[in-house]
Amino acid sequence: MSRSAVIDFPPRAARPDLSRVRRMIQACLQCGTCSGSCPNAAAMDFTPRHLWRLVMLDRGEEIFRSRTFTLCSACYTCTLRCPRGLPLTEAMHALEQAAHRARSKRHRTAAAFHHHFLESIRREGRVNEPAFLMHYFAAVKDPLLVLRHAALGLRLAARGRLPLGRPASRARSLAALFARAAEVEASP
Amino acid sequence: MNARIGKALVVGAGIAGIRAALDLAEYGYSVVLVERAPRPSGLLGQLDRQFPTDRCGMCRLLPRVERDAASADCLRRGLFHERIDLRLNTEVAGIEGEAGRLRVRLRRPSGGVDPERCAGCGRCAAVCPVEVPDEFNAGLTMRKAVDLPAPQCFPHAYALDPSACTRCGACREVCPTGAIRLPGAERRSFRILLVDDEWSVRDSLKEWLEAEGFSTAMAASGPEALAALREKAFQLMLLDIKMPGMDGVEVLERAKQISPGLDVVMMTAYATVETAVEAMKIGALDYLIKPFDVADLIPKAVERFERFAAAEDPPLTVGAVVLCGGSEGYDPLSGKNPYGYGVFPGVLTQVEFERLTSATGPTGGRLLRPDGRGAVRRIAWIQCVGSRDAGEEADFCSSVCCMASIKEALLAKALGGGDLEATIFHMDLRTAGKSFQRYRDQAEERHGVRFIRARPHSLTPAPGGEGLRIRWVEAGGESREENFDLVVLATGRRPAAGMTALAERLGLPLNPWGFIAAVPFSRCRTARPGVVIGGTCGGMVDIAETVIQASAAAAEASRCLQAAGGGQGAEERPAELSDSVLRELPRVAAVMCRCRWSSPPAETPEPVLFALGRDPEVATVETADALCTPEGRRTLAAIRARAGANRLLIGACRLLQQPARLRDIARDGGLTAGQVETADLALCSARTPPDAQAALFALRSGLARLKRSEPPAARPIPVAPAALVLGGGVAGMTAALVIADHGAPVELVETSERLGGNLTWLTRTIEGADPRALRDDLVRRVEGHPRIRVHKGARIVHAEGEVGSFVSFIEGPDGEVRRLEHGVVLFATGGREAPALGFGYGESPAVATQAEVERRLSDGTLPVGALDTVVTIQCAGSRREPRNYCSRICCPASLRLIEAFRERRPELRAVVLYRDLMTTGFAEAAYTRARGSGVLFIPYPSDRPPAVRPTGAGAVVAVEEPILGRPLEIEAQLVVLATGIVPALSRELVEAFGGRLDEDGFFQPADAKWRPVDGMAEGVFACGLALSPRTIPEAIATAEAAAMRALGLLGRERLFASRIVARVRHSLCSRCEQCIAACPCGARRLDEELGRVIVHPVRCQGCGTCAAVCPNDAAILEGFPPPQMFSILEAALG
Repeated sequence: MSRSAVIDFPPRAARPDLSRVRRMIQACLQCGTCSGSCPNAAAMDFTPRHLWRLVMLDRGEEIFRSRTFTLCSACYTCTLRCPRGLPLTEAMHALEQAAHRARSKRHRTAAAFHHHFLESIRREGRVNEPAFLMHYFAAVKDPLLVLRHAALGLRLAARGRLPLGRPASRARSLAALFARAAEVEASP
Repeated sequence: MNARIGKALVVGAGIAGIRAALDLAEYGYSVVLVERAPRPSGLLGQLDRQFPTDRCGMCRLLPRVERDAASADCLRRGLFHERIDLRLNTEVAGIEGEAGRLRVRLRRPSGGVDPERCAGCGRCAAVCPVEVPDEFNAGLTMRKAVDLPAPQCFPHAYALDPSACTRCGACREVCPTGAIRLPGAERRSFRILLVDDEWSVRDSLKEWLEAEGFSTAMAASGPEALAALREKAFQLMLLDIKMPGMDGVEVLERAKQISPGLDVVMMTAYATVETAVEAMKIGALDYLIKPFDVADLIPKAVERFERFAAAEDPPLTVGAVVLCGGSEGYDPLSGKNPYGYGVFPGVLTQVEFERLTSATGPTGGRLLRPDGRGAVRRIAWIQCVGSRDAGEEADFCSSVCCMASIKEALLAKALGGGDLEATIFHMDLRTAGKSFQRYRDQAEERHGVRFIRARPHSLTPAPGGEGLRIRWVEAGGESREENFDLVVLATGRRPAAGMTALAERLGLPLNPWGFIAAVPFSRCRTARPGVVIGGTCGGMVDIAETVIQASAAAAEASRCLQAAGGGQGAEERPAELSDSVLRELPRVAAVMCRCRWSSPPAETPEPVLFALGRDPEVATVETADALCTPEGRRTLAAIRARAGANRLLIGACRLLQQPARLRDIARDGGLTAGQVETADLALCSARTPPDAQAALFALRSGLARLKRSEPPAARPIPVAPAALVLGGGVAGMTAALVIADHGAPVELVETSERLGGNLTWLTRTIEGADPRALRDDLVRRVEGHPRIRVHKGARIVHAEGEVGSFVSFIEGPDGEVRRLEHGVVLFATGGREAPALGFGYGESPAVATQAEVERRLSDGTLPVGALDTVVTIQCAGSRREPRNYCSRICCPASLRLIEAFRERRPELRAVVLYRDLMTTGFAEAAYTRARGSGVLFIPYPSDRPPAVRPTGAGAVVAVEEPILGRPLEIEAQLVVLATGIVPALSRELVEAFGGRLDEDGFFQPADAKWRPVDGMAEGVFACGLALSPRTIPEAIATAEAAAMRALGLLGRERLFASRIVARVRHSLCSRCEQCIAACPCGARRLDEELGRVIVHPVRCQGCGTCAAVCPNDAAILEGFPPPQMFSILEAALG
């Protein structure tokens, strides 16, 4: 992506709908307190302030190419410091959800991770690491990803942090709870 | 000299209160000025320097004509005016009644230092064992519980802080004049009933409270308590909630029936706090949670006692009340993000920093690092701490902090030398005032102050003790870190708590930001007739606007007094008769004080009396008791009469040098101030017997002054009673109405064919009010007023004259020329929108100015429904040379236009391209609203303005988006240019009246801060846009202020010069004109016909510059003759 690319406003081409996030942050003053206070800002490709600007300018596709919102560790410092009292941490999560809904390619891996992690919990009441990893790797279909995680996996296994069998657990399926949550979320 | 019937109360003796009080007093009314603090001059008394002069200048508030009515002294030290009754340490207890007849109760704390008696020796502070933070130094130093309120205070009236005093009595024992009364001397009579079922609680309460001097009684149950209440009167009840049988809430209800005025404090365990809160709803005053600390309990009891024991002054009846209670500083510790304030010593508030730079501050004005590591080299200012912060419930801009920080940065550079680095971190840098932008630019370009647009989020100690580290993020996203020695927080302002409480008691509504609300289009009228506000208690404004609003408040108060039958007082003649005595040979009565307060009684040594008596012009030398008392004054008058003396020399102490006392002595003795002289022999405060030699020198210099004092040159100037007002817009009409309502005739000249000025096309203000209704109302009242003559389609063809006697010739539409005589002139000639240049203006129908859009919007020719995207370009020609000033109204105007578009088309996209968004004060709320509704705000740097490319029916605006660092192209159907305001003032006309224009063509006030509506020449005033760009309510405030200042001159038949005024000895004058060039008041001119240099006796302020530059000794200062000065020096040197 070129830094000098001209931004057209209002955008001519159709864009992903970010109106919900936009409403959350549109009172932003661009003071930069959020970016200054973010402990993860150094790892982000865009600072939070940059991201809010893109939201205001309706640049959904650029935002979804960014990893900024996935790096949010929900420390809430920005929300606490924002002179406009904006729900910035929530806005980060809203972007994450929007990216998921938009099936953004860049965030496919993260989305698959979230999905199978929760799926494992839904079925068994806790994470069944081997089953979860199997489903996750199968969904991503990226052998490099498996290789990248191999070393870590072996170290964890060596310390007994990655049981290879089905873990002994008294946990029960949480399917009912998940169904109820979906019901609540579906109702307006 | 010009007294009127009618009295006003002014609450608060900060600069607003002083201005309002002086305006009312100058017009002739009596004023009671009350101040809660022990010193006048408020916040400004703590600040040594103001921009743009980087000096103080508060004394410029003092009267310019009839100067002798006030003491020409520093207002930071004290205030004296013969019609102002200044009461310090005094609060308003209540105001009842209606405009014209308001009954006021005033209250003073129970103990304190009697200012009538305090001789300022300082022994009390020397022995006082209690140290508390000194408010004057913003808590950076400590003071004693009895101390000077500020080092500069004169007379040196020490003040006692009742909340800090432990009543040890040490000060009372050492006070030589018996001036100190300990607070709480009556605590025995303050009875407290302690109700608790537990004996241990009752008993410990009893012990604590009796140790503090209170009387107590105990009750073990509800019924017992009620019985005690029926039997005896109590002032306070401490009541347990949980008791067997009758519980505390029930006792409270019944107790309130027996003794409705009883104060009750509930005592509760943590579990029953909710009950305590309920109890407060039915009349309990407060609650304490058990187990409580004695340190929490005692202040509550003392506070109740102070209210009980406070001495009430006899009630007053006044015609109007002016509230000038000011504001208070935001405390960073109360917020979510205190930036290390209170933790790191290098973090200061602005007021603390100002004290640090002051010669009377903790370091004597040297910029030292608080950690003791030497001089300060790097300072950062962080703007908007506690302002513009929704999280701190401050959806307003405090308006003053940006300029204050720039001034402080320059001050630091001046104090710390060239290599001191000053950095200001800001959001928008708000330079929305006359000359502010150029001051900022100079700070950056000439003095190297660094401006960074960023809001640092936090502050940490730098590693290795290298001061404080600030981390911030640049617009582009880069993170930066730097270390600083000092960090100054530009803390915002808040409504003053005491003022808010008073407003609530008076039934005055508050605005959404907690300040006292004014009615629409006014800055000073409140919902309650007869009660007006001036200065920052109605919202944050800078010094100039404070002074303007205070004068406007005085005008409104004066209207109330006028309507209540004031203003008809007979004009007192000055005491010309006794002044003529000064022409007689001196015959001096010398009276020495025998101090009653010192022990043994101090008096002037015999040899001194003998030496004094040998002077042939001394008729008698006597010693009398306690000259500072009323009896002493009577003795003085009797001695003078017996000796047949025409001058009075007093040997006493500093107490008798107070202007008010001197004035009383002269009046009682039938003399004028010039005939009385006091020598300070420090009798009462001296620790050793007076030194005979020094006393004799002091007395002889006083004698020399008396002998050589000259009668004043009484050359009164007649005043034509009419006012000429130029311009029939909102400012001109308002000013005309104020003056005419006070009984003076007004000639209102308007060049166009109709009245109304800019109100003829404006349709809505940012507050949502309709200016057209205001215009119709003003026009109707002006045209129907019997004392206003309106000249439409007329212009001034010639003008001449001076204050009191201007002559103007006006040409009407029919070509007929009329001659008008008038005492004063007010320029209300207004301003208009600056012409648009560039930005595609004229090339596309889609590009229009704000005024054009406003007109098209109101006549319906703008197709709002067809608009999809609107762009406004702020500062389109403003804030860069040659128009390098902020027009102040264009930012709010753009927001208002967008609001108007959005009302008709909610889905409209709006983009505001701006440099700094100037929504000062409460206009900030409109900015928040606009941001919240999704308006896009994009800042642009002044050297890279947006480019507009017309495209058929619309335009594409290209601008660099600073955060993304990428160009942005906006396709808009309408581009609104905010071009700013230019004045419509004719230089020739202003100069014909002796006024001047500033470099932008606006009216040049005599002093930008302290005399903002007065011209460089006396009798010439300006208001409205002629002065500087401003909103409608602000223009109205200037009009009322200018009218009030004009009334100060018009309210009298003749103007009297001061005792000290310059004169020319024509026989010695060589007409070199050096004095004319040197005169700072423009009081001198060369009369070509007479061939003489003429001095205008009212314009002359008696500074003596002319006498200093004159090579021939032809320029002299009357009332300050050189022979007198030489003989004083001779006597003083022995």
